[in-house]
This record gives sequence, structure tokens and C-alpha cells, in this order.
Amino acid sequence: MSVLPGDARSPRRVVVTGLGVVTSIGIGVEKFLAGLRAGRSGVKPITAFDTTGFAHANGCEITDFDPARWLHHVDPAQLGRASQLSAAAAGMAVADAGMSVEALRSRRALVSVGTTDGESHDLDQLVGVQVDRGAEHFDPVVTRRVPAGRLSSSIVAELGLTDVEAVTIPTACAAGNYAVGYGFDAIRSGDVEVALCGGADALCRKTFTGFYRLGTIAPEACQPFDLNRKGILTGEGAGILLMESLDSARARGARIYAEVLGYGLNCDAYHPVAPDRNSIARCIELAHRNAGVKPGDIDFISAHGTGTKANDVTEAGAIRQVFGQRPPRTVSIKGMIGHTMGAASALASAACALAITHKFIPPTINHVETDPECGLDCVPNVAQEADLRVVQNNALAFGGNNAVLILGRYDEVAS
Amino acid sequence: MTSTTPSTSTDIDREQVKEIVCEILEIDADEVTETSLFKEDHGADSLLAIEILAALERNLHVTIDQAELSRMVNLQGVYAVVGEASNA
Repeated sequence: MSVLPGDARSPRRVVVTGLGVVTSIGIGVEKFLAGLRAGRSGVKPITAFDTTGFAHANGCEITDFDPARWLHHVDPAQLGRASQLSAAAAGMAVADAGMSVEALRSRRALVSVGTTDGESHDLDQLVGVQVDRGAEHFDPVVTRRVPAGRLSSSIVAELGLTDVEAVTIPTACAAGNYAVGYGFDAIRSGDVEVALCGGADALCRKTFTGFYRLGTIAPEACQPFDLNRKGILTGEGAGILLMESLDSARARGARIYAEVLGYGLNCDAYHPVAPDRNSIARCIELAHRNAGVKPGDIDFISAHGTGTKANDVTEAGAIRQVFGQRPPRTVSIKGMIGHTMGAASALASAACALAITHKFIPPTINHVETDPECGLDCVPNVAQEADLRVVQNNALAFGGNNAVLILGRYDEVAS
Repeated sequence: MTSTTPSTSTDIDREQVKEIVCEILEIDADEVTETSLFKEDHGADSLLAIEILAALERNLHVTIDQAELSRMVNLQGVYAVVGEASNA
């Protein structure tokens, strides 16, 4: 184990120095950034599974991801799609951080990956085989791909890490923020030197069908906070953040996207699917307290903003409960990349880090008329230039699992 | 009671519909009346309402528009909706 610099009793500051992203609006930081700035839409008809029988089946599928291009040590065929996305994003994050794989391997590390569905796409196939022909016809390779732990262990295998804790966090649509929060704690307390944290999910029939049956899949487009919003579009992707201590980043002269100031988690278990306004407000307050910021410090909010009637009005109500009648600009990038489930708040965290670095607020696209019941400035359709110091990233999941992350700009002079 | 029910629903198997509803609400058939409310009287929520809709579609081979959920608050409403769906 490495010796900690300075006084190990005082918590270390934590910064984001690498981003790996695989999304329907672009693979890799440069393309993702360009997509966020331009307000690009990743929507297309779903091809990941047979959509016969559904009246509408649009989604934010990634059609230009070639795992063989991104994975160099593990055989893509041995991984399910979510693990492929996860391991590819981690490799990108390490490269983006300018850290050699050898340097990474020499540091004690954490890998934490959030997910909603794990490898449910493979499970869909296996169930099909079982129903049609019987379980004895399962392909053993596909069967081995299924455990959700593979989403994090595949990163470990791809990067050849040995001194590492690998954990997959299954808190569904808030899991990305949970994973990043866990990494923040691990670095802050000195347990690890580097953390690869985020989330990954692949399109699957099970989740599409579930949301469809709930009446929450939009026929064409996802329109967060719009008066005529019609629901979510399921998406897929992976976002992995490389985090390290500020001392570590400065010692190696790394580019710092943002500082992780803190986060808040709670679980109200109030209802299986309905979000609870008071509970969300409490989670936001927890995050502010943990990060040492006040509502007035927040320059913009990246909302969970799924585009369902229930989420958007409830989340907006919680935001006003904490921020008063003039809340900061509040956007949802789900209009662009859909609801990427466990990857959603990880990709939104990456978007927030890029927003801070490049001084802009990504837009809420597909916006026609703001729902007065939401009453938010959602930066409709066109990105805005903005000098951002502190940003908030909301994530809300089924079962009342809420996770809110606070990121801040790191100023060299201020330190 | 039957006089208020649209004639289109007379050919549906009410017993079967009632059985499906009771199984999902986890109540005995004698606990429910044609007008007792699933939510207020039997503790159902929006998810159970969707389960009822899905089970009716699956077992009766009909298609029910999700918008009809607002009418499916009691057995009377369900009979009417299923009757119309059967005739569609």
C-alpha cells in the first residue's frame, strides 16, 4: 500500500481528470462535447431487439460502437454489451486523463459501476432460448456474461488492475451518481489513489417493455419539462470518470475538469415507481451540506428530467422547495441521449464536468412550450455560454433511490 | 345495476373478468361489488391498475387503450371497457 502524502487525517480534495463516454450522440469526449453543444439527438428506431407488436419503438441506440476498436485485452465476445460499453469507457477515461496504464496499475484503485439492467439484453436472449428450446440449449459463453459484477470486473480485466476493489452498484437510474459518490469517499478518505467510477447500460427488451406497459415511452421524442411531454425514450451508453486526489493530479500536472465537492443519497421507499417531492428536496439539501454549498451557490442543475409527466413536475417542485421561486437554470440531457438508466447520471456528471471546463450549459432539446407546472428555465434547444462555478447533478430512481452530486470548478489560483 | 351497463358489454364473461381483478387485488370475490373502488376501497395503486389492464389483455385477447385506465376504477367500469374492447 502506498503512503499518503501530507496529513492523512485531513480529508483530501477529489478531482475529475479523465472522462470516458460512449453515447448515442458521440463516442469519446470530443464527440460527446460537440453533441452537447450542438443539441444533437440520438433518437432512432430501435434495432437492438425485435419491436414487432409495439405501436412505436424509438430509442437512443448506439449504432457506431465497435468493441474491438476499444478493447485490447479482453475478447469482446466474452462480454455482454453493457460490459463492453463499460470497459471501453474506462479505457477512454484513462487515456483522457493522460495516465499510462502502468502508472494506473501501480496505484491502489477503486472501480465502481452503476447499472439498472446489467446484462439484461443477454438475459432476454437466454429466456427466449429457454422458452423455445429449453435451458439445456443455453450458450455457455452468453450465460457467463450475465452476472452484473462483470460490468466492473471487465474494467479490471481490460486494464490489468491487481490492487483494486471492483463493485457494481445496482441502484438503477440513480446508480451512476452512487458510483461516483463511492469513489469520492474512497479517495477523500485515502482508501484508494485513483477511482474509475460511473455507469453503464445497454438497450434491452425487458426494460423497454416495462416502461412501455407503464405508458411512459414517448412515441417519437423525449421532451423534458415540456407542456406536451409524453415520456422517456430508453437509451444506452456508458460514462466513466477517472478521479484522483488534488495532490495526485497536481503532482502529475494533469488537466482538471472539475472538483467533486460532495454528494447526497437517500432512499424513501415510498412507492415502487412514483418519485416523492419532499424526499428529493431532502436529498438535494443533504448534497449541499455534504459539499459545503448553499442553494444560491448553484449555477445550474442537470436534472434527472426523464420527460414523464410525474418525474418532471415532482422534480421541479422539489427544486423550487429548496431554491425558492427563482431556481437556477435546470436542464435535462435526456432529450439528446435518452434515458440511459444506470449510465444516466454518470453521463450527466461527465456533461457537468465538460460544462464547467468549457463554460456552457447544454440545452434541453425537443422543447416547444415549458410546462407552467414545472416553471423552470430549461435552456430550451440551444446551449448557452455560462461561467460556472458550482453545478448540481440530480438522479432519481425507482423505489425512491435519490442521489445528488455537486461538482465545482477548480481554480489554480484559489488553491 | 345491469340496466346502467352499456349493452355492448353483455356478451363478456363477467365472472372471468371479476376473477382476474380479484386475483390481482388479492381479495376474495365477495369483498368486491360492482361499484366498490379499487383504489379507495381495495388499496390498489397505479401499478396494480396497469397489472389489471395487462392481465385482461392477455387472458381475454383484447387490446385496451391505456387512456381507459381512468374509467377502470371499479368492476362496472372494467366491464364497460372490456365490452367495448371486445367489440372493437
